[in-house]
Amino acid sequence: MPGAPSTGSVLRGLGLPLLAWAAAGFASRAYTSPFPPPSEIRVPAAGATGDMLALALGARRLFADLWFIRLMQYYGTREFQESAAEPGHEGHVHSVDEHGHAHCDHGKNYGTGDYPLFLPMARHVLEVDPAFTAAGLYAAASLAFNMQRGEEAQELINYALKYNPREWKYLTMLAAIGYSKARNPVAVAEAIAPILKDPDCPVMLKQLAAFLNKKAGNYAAAAAIYADIAATSRDEAYVKNARRELVKLANMRALAPAPGGVK
Amino acid sequence: MNNLLLVRAVAFNAFAENVRNRFFTLFAVFAFTAVYASVLAGVMAVDQEARVLADFGLALIELTALAYSIFGASSALLKEAETKTIYLVFSRPVPRWAYLAGKLSGTLLTAGLMLLIMGAMHLSLLAMRGFGLPPFYAWALAGTFLKLSIIVSFAFFVSLFSTSAVSTLVISSIMWTLGHFASEARYMVERLPGIKGIAFSALLWLIPNLQLFNARDAAGAAAALGPAALFSAAAWVAASFLGALWLLSRKEF
Repeated sequence: MPGAPSTGSVLRGLGLPLLAWAAAGFASRAYTSPFPPPSEIRVPAAGATGDMLALALGARRLFADLWFIRLMQYYGTREFQESAAEPGHEGHVHSVDEHGHAHCDHGKNYGTGDYPLFLPMARHVLEVDPAFTAAGLYAAASLAFNMQRGEEAQELINYALKYNPREWKYLTMLAAIGYSKARNPVAVAEAIAPILKDPDCPVMLKQLAAFLNKKAGNYAAAAAIYADIAATSRDEAYVKNARRELVKLANMRALAPAPGGVK
Repeated sequence: MNNLLLVRAVAFNAFAENVRNRFFTLFAVFAFTAVYASVLAGVMAVDQEARVLADFGLALIELTALAYSIFGASSALLKEAETKTIYLVFSRPVPRWAYLAGKLSGTLLTAGLMLLIMGAMHLSLLAMRGFGLPPFYAWALAGTFLKLSIIVSFAFFVSLFSTSAVSTLVISSIMWTLGHFASEARYMVERLPGIKGIAFSALLWLIPNLQLFNARDAAGAAAALGPAALFSAAAWVAASFLGALWLLSRKEF
């Protein structure tokens, strides 16, 4: 049976592991986190557990996805009409003119409403995963163009740019928001045109661009965007609407591009 | 050369044992069910379905592989000691380092196989939904494997002084979560004044920063694992291995 080890042999035995441990610790210190520090995470009600898991399991992307789904559910269910006189028109209110005739203008009132938690929820998605550009664009566009809350949209984009300063889509969106505040829909459509070609572009933004082009009389550009929505989106509501709009535009027989049309 | 053959023999034996374990099938079935169930979340994300499916799948793959790997690492040496198999091994000219390296390699081979099987299942699910290979996928799996290597070797180290497999499992799981919190912990420690700051800062050196390997959460080019990550992983594995070897050499078999 061996005798008790001497202090020297213990130190010699432990020397290598400790050296390796120190080297590992040193190498780890080179890492700088691309994510917002915990002090910036403002947790909406009932979200603390999820955020703790997001950090503890290293699953920020996963939990940002869940927050994004929650945001879409929040925006999609509240203040949403359950039924409509005509099928397919549930998402918006029809305007009534002075003669009492109802007018449908798809997109005009789409997504408008109060949604007081929209900004904190959207910001939270970016606090958990600032690289989630599609969520940032979706939320900023909803705030600026559907809810007419341009200031909040700018606040959100400025926060996103803090951790993603090279993201040109955010800069483009900022310009579009500026035009929107100046009530220049044609300039908004032109500003967001480059984003439409990006695979990360939210379908809602495409829908908005198509609507603005249609309003400006640029039917060819509007048709091209609706065709893209119909071909690429997985959202049935948007796809159905795009097909309907394509039929309408074809019937108008005005598909020739207007001067200054936006693609 | 002979020693390397010994390492290989022990590794393949440990690998075969792990794969034959009924828990392996159970974990694989669970992973497949969980990954398949993530389709629901993907559908809810509408136009972000590809991202959600990829993120859910990768997270579930990692957690399943982690659970099985820690379970295997926690019980490997204890089981051999309880069944006295380890006495048979050490009655032959098998150096302790070769035995330990073989056991560790066998467990890591199993973890690698699990990642490959689950990754293939996940990719076929993505293909079924009409999506291609996510651009960061290989890096994400490589990062997961590095994280598993660190935590598995740490579990071997802990298993040599802990009283049961359960306590090893718990300690290793705590290290896993601490490892992901390392950046946030460092941020908070940097704001601690005086001796408290120094003490906690020293403690942080004992925790592997697993975010360094978390390519799953990084985006685009940031997902690529750099030399610092590879060196760090190698150093953590070496530290735990050498620590475990030191403990093993002090045990009487």
